[in-house]
Order: sequence, then C-alpha cells, then structure tokens
Amino acid sequence: MNSLHAAWIVAKKDLLLALRDRTGLLLGFLLPIVLVGAFGFIFKVSFGQDGGGMDRATLWVADEDGTDASRAFVAALRDAATIRLRPEPGDEPATADALRTKVEAGDAHHALIVEKGFAEALTAERFPPLSMLRDPDRQVESQMISIGVMSAFFASQGPGLSHLFTARALELAGLPPEWHDRVVAISKTFSTTIGGLFDEKDRAATDGTTTASDAKDGPDFGSMFSQLVPMTTTDVRPSGRPQISYWMAQTVCGNAIMMLMFGLVACGQTLLREREDGTLSRLLTSRLPRSSILWGKALMAALMGAAQLFVVFAFGSLVFQVNFLADPSTLFVVSAATIFAITGFGIVVAAWAKTQKQAEGLSTVIILVMSALGGAWFPIQMVDLPLAAQVVTRCTLTHWAMSSYQGMLWHAKPWTDASMLTSIGVLVAFGALALTTAHVLFVKRYVRAA
Amino acid sequence: MGATHPAMETLLQVSDLLVRYGDRVAVGAISFDIGRGEILGLLGPNGAGKTSTISCISGLREPDGGRFAFDGAAFSPNSDANARARIGLVPQSLALYDELSADENLLFFARIAGLGRADARIAADRGLELSGLTDRRRDRVSTFSGGMKRRLNLAAGDLHQPALLVLDEPTVGVDPQSRQHIFDALERLKAEGRSLLYTTHYMEEAERLCDRIAIMDEGRILDVGPATALAERAGLPGANLETVFLKLTGKQLRDA
Ligand SMILES: Nc1ncnc2c1ncn2[C@@H]1O[C@H](COP(=O)(O)OP(=O)(O)O)[C@@H](O)[C@H]1O
Ligand SMILES: [Mg+2]
Repeated sequence: MNSLHAAWIVAKKDLLLALRDRTGLLLGFLLPIVLVGAFGFIFKVSFGQDGGGMDRATLWVADEDGTDASRAFVAALRDAATIRLRPEPGDEPATADALRTKVEAGDAHHALIVEKGFAEALTAERFPPLSMLRDPDRQVESQMISIGVMSAFFASQGPGLSHLFTARALELAGLPPEWHDRVVAISKTFSTTIGGLFDEKDRAATDGTTTASDAKDGPDFGSMFSQLVPMTTTDVRPSGRPQISYWMAQTVCGNAIMMLMFGLVACGQTLLREREDGTLSRLLTSRLPRSSILWGKALMAALMGAAQLFVVFAFGSLVFQVNFLADPSTLFVVSAATIFAITGFGIVVAAWAKTQKQAEGLSTVIILVMSALGGAWFPIQMVDLPLAAQVVTRCTLTHWAMSSYQGMLWHAKPWTDASMLTSIGVLVAFGALALTTAHVLFVKRYVRAA
Repeated sequence: MGATHPAMETLLQVSDLLVRYGDRVAVGAISFDIGRGEILGLLGPNGAGKTSTISCISGLREPDGGRFAFDGAAFSPNSDANARARIGLVPQSLALYDELSADENLLFFARIAGLGRADARIAADRGLELSGLTDRRRDRVSTFSGGMKRRLNLAAGDLHQPALLVLDEPTVGVDPQSRQHIFDALERLKAEGRSLLYTTHYMEEAERLCDRIAIMDEGRILDVGPATALAERAGLPGANLETVFLKLTGKQLRDA
C-alpha cells in the first residue's frame, strides 16, 4: 500500500470522526471566534481610547533647534513615563529627514521634530513649534506619546508656562480667542494651583496608573488633555501598508494561532485515544505501513488547521475588517508554514504522551505560556525586554508565527522579504524537527512495544 | 504431544515463541501449529499468556524469541505489512469507532486491510451480514448493545478473508443470544474452510468449537490435541475438559 494513500485513508476516517465530535468542533471553530470577538471588542473599547495596558511607546526625536531649552525638553521626554525615546543617548542624533524616511518605511510609528525656533518661542511665552509624524494606525501609541510629550513639556518648562495651558484648554473647549488674553491674565494668578494639578497628573503617570478614569469627569477631557501641547501632526501611512486596524490584526492572529495549537493538539490526541480505545491494535495489524498511521494524523491535523484558520480569518475580515487577502500568496505561505509547525507540535505531543490526560495537561501549559511569551495575547515586541527575555520569546513557536503574520499585515511585507523568510524558515524547521521526533517516538512507543 | 491433525497441511508453525515484559516471562518458548481449515483453541486462565501469543502472531508485538513459518516460509508480521495481511485479528477489547456507523467502521477497516474501494464495499456488506447487523448498518456503534459490538468486532477482523483469523476471547462478557450468534458465525467460517486460532477461558465453548485444543497456563502449553485425546493422555478417558485441566495444572479454571 502506498504510504500517502494509506495516510489519506486514515486521515479521512479521522476527519469524519472529528466532524461527529460536536464538542470538539465547538472548541475548534466557535471558541476562536468567540475569543477573537471578545478580545477585539476589548481592544476597540479600551485600547482605542487611551493607553491602558502598555507601559511605553517608542518615540523617535530630532532636535533641530539645538539649544539648551530644546535639549532640556528632549531630556524630559526621555524621562516621560509613557515614552521610550529613540535614538538612545549614546547613538547618533537623528535628523528630521532621517525620521521622515523612517516613518515612511514603517520602521518608526511616531517621530517628533523639535523645530528651529523652539527656545525663541518659549522666551516669547508662546507654544514652541513641534512637528509630529505618526502612523495613523498606531492610535494606542499616539495617546501615550501625547501624554508623555505634555508631561515632558511641563516638566522641562516648570509651572511658569501654565497660563499657556489654560489658554490652550479654553481654546480646545471652544471659547473665542478674544477671551484668551483676559483669562490668561487671570490664570497667571492661579498658576500655582494649576501647576499642582499637573504635578498630580505626572505622578499618576509615573505610578503606572493611567489617566483613563480622569477622562470620565467631563466630555472627552482625556483627548483634550493630550492635545494641550499643540503640535503640527502629519499622518504618514507607510507606503504599501494595507488599510488595517493594527490591533484587530493582532487580536485575530494571536487568538487564531493559540486556538490552532489547541485544535491541532486535540487532533494529535486521537492517536492516544485510539490506543486507549483499542482501535490502534487494528491499525497496527492492518496492511497500513506503520508510519502512515502517524502521517494520517498529521495530514488530518493540517487539514483541520487550514479549515480553522480559514474560519477565523474570514470572521476577522468580515467583522474587524482585517484585510487578510491583500497578498494571497504571502497569506498562503505564512499560513502553510504556521500550520506545518503547529501540526508538528500537536503530533509530537501526542507521540510523546503516555495518556490523553498527560497530553492535555502538558500541552495546555505549553500553549498558554507560548501564547503569552510569543505575543499571541499582546504584542510583546513593543515592550522593552531584557535580552534574556527576548531570547525566551524567540524560543516560542508563537513568536515566529506572530512575526510572520505581523510582517504581512502591519508592514505589508511579501513572503520573499528576508525577515519573513527567517520567520517562515524557523516555522518550517520547527515543524520538520517536531515531526521527525514524533516519528522516532512513535516507532519506539507504538510499533516496537505495542 | 501436539502433533498436527494428520489430515491437514500446516498453515502456521509457531516455534519457541518467547514474550517477556521486562524481566517477567509471559510466554515461555512455546511451540504449536495450526492446520489449514482447522480451529485451534487456546484455552487457559486469565494471565496464561494467550493475548501475548496472539499479539505476536498478528504482528502487534515483536516476539522476544522464536520463529514463525506461514505456509512453510519464514513469517515476520511485525515488520512486514504484507505478512500481516494474511492474518485477521479480532482483539480481546472492542476495537471500533463508536462515533462511526457500523458500515463506516467496516468500510474503513476493509480499506486498511488493503482492499480497493469496490472490494471494500463487498467485504463490508458481507461483514454486516455475518454480524447480523445489516438493518442497523447506518446506526452509530455507540447505540449498539455489548453483544452487537462483539459481533461487529468479529466481522471487522475478517473483512479481507485472511488465511488465518485470530480471535482473542470473542465471547467475553456477551449475552447468551449474541454468544450463540458468534458461535454460528465461527461455525460458518469453519464450514467455508477457514483456519481459526481462538482463545477462550470457557471450557464448553472450546470443547464445542475446536478441532484441537492447546491448554495453556503460566506461559506454557501443557498439551495440545482434540479434547478426547487430551483426556486420554491425561489418563482420564471420557472426562470433560474441566477435569483434564484440573489434572494438568492442578488448578480450577476461573470464570469457567
Ligand atoms: N503490557 C504488559 N506489560 C506487562 N505485563 C504484561 C503486559 N501484558 C500482559 N502482561 C502480563 O503477561 C502475562 C500474560 O498476559 P496475557 O498474555 O494478557 O494473558 P491472557 O491473555 O492469557 O490473560 C500476565 O501475567 C500479564 O500480567
Ligand atoms: Mg487475554
């Protein structure tokens, strides 16, 4: 009997069994949709409006003014609790042009240019010229950076300029400009009071608590607050980037990959179930080449995985407008590599485990840990991680799967891009290694000592 | 002792079969043979080594020692898929997919026995008929009674009509009606000239069905022959198997 044909006979039977397993189908297909829906909703509601949950957003800065005042401001930016400032102090300072190129290429999502005339404006008690280049899809970081810029501005200038904030707040509240001068005159008197208010804000941000709750006090105070320091903001969407919601892509892919792991481990477990139910003895004494039993399971897992991804991605496209089909060939290659790797994971767990319970217990822990570390729940690459932690995240399957989907969806990279090829290569290598190991274990545990 | 029935040519020759689990010897270098068209009963209490013996013959286990010859040629079912195809196994524990129908189970098992699509269809129909489940063919096995499952379990091992059908306690835990059905099925296979190796720990069953009986205990075969010959050799002419077994092993057969 031809091995592939034999594997297909086994896989067909397993697919039929899977279709009959209602609970399994619900877990495999409905749960990912529920999760994607729930997380998507949470991201939309909370992350869409303030910076809750993430500690720092990366901001690139170029100081075109080069005065003591501008340098103090940059130093304060570096200290801002919500900002991770680049370039680092030791690195070569960036120029406005270089930052523009960076944002256009998608290598930076926010860049602040401290324009010439910064110190002059401050001396004249005017808001200084600041330009922000930002990727409009990174709203979460926008909020965090605005807050950071505001607090840095205040920290570097002290309470002496608080009347400027008052005027700005009035302007944002919709009061006519004629009022400004009068109110500013009055507010100078109260500057210490208002200074106290900002001190409090600043402390709150340093404590890691967000300002979200303050926003409930008045109509959209949160967004007003973050616009207190006026900036010329230019939206730069990296060329070729599909119009996607960054967060939606993250949540759809993250949950899809986590659920794919659960789903394919369940497929692999049918091997243990066959042993516990006794049907394996028939397979082992049949005409089937022995390995086709294992390859049949792998084939079935891969097909179920493809179906599962299809369903979740279709849901993500329809409900959250994630454009998975922008580059069909990359979608295909990335998904095939992901399915291959995760199939290997499911099959090796099954071949290693002695009982279904053991497989379930072990795989649940591994899947949850890999999902958390590999960025399936949260885009962990945005967080400042120490080197050791970066190494750990790179040891997870999820990291490489997420990287390849993020590369495709966020940066519109084709699968032939070098960084994409790296991720895809790691996935394929992992899958091959896992399947080889599974085969060795299978021969040892099932064929030799049935 | 243990000579093949003179009228039959030898189908399977087992020589010095040894099975160990760790240090423990489950089957201690036993030898016996099965003639073409014969029903050989392997009779022994639980733990005698019957299942271990059958696992090696059907290819599930690699023996720790000994040789097989099938039709006179060396035979290694554990490593050779084509060799396995000459044996049909009816495992001691039910081995069916509960969530598939009777028909789907038989079709799948026929396919993995190496039958093409059309032949598998014919074999499945024959199996349904053999197990008396033709009118329940579309029902899932999970809805079947224990006896019905036993019957289907038997049919599933015989789909490719192997030269030798090996049955491991096919009537264990079965209601009298299904048991009768299984006896009838086995007699029918015998009438068709098929060879059967059949383990049981039920005396009357062995006496009724088997041409020859091998009495097994603690991994050894104590004697092989037709029931009457066993009694004579034990010096108890005309005695029933139970008495012979007691004489040979010094113990009662549990569950008999
Ligand atoms: N997988 C196994 N591991 C260890 N010991 C086993 C295993 N299978 C059977 N045995 C032991 O081998 C002996 C023979 O068992 P078995 O062949 O199942 O006997 P029977 O089928 O006659 O009841 C028993 O003592 C049993 O406990
Ligand atoms: Mg047994």
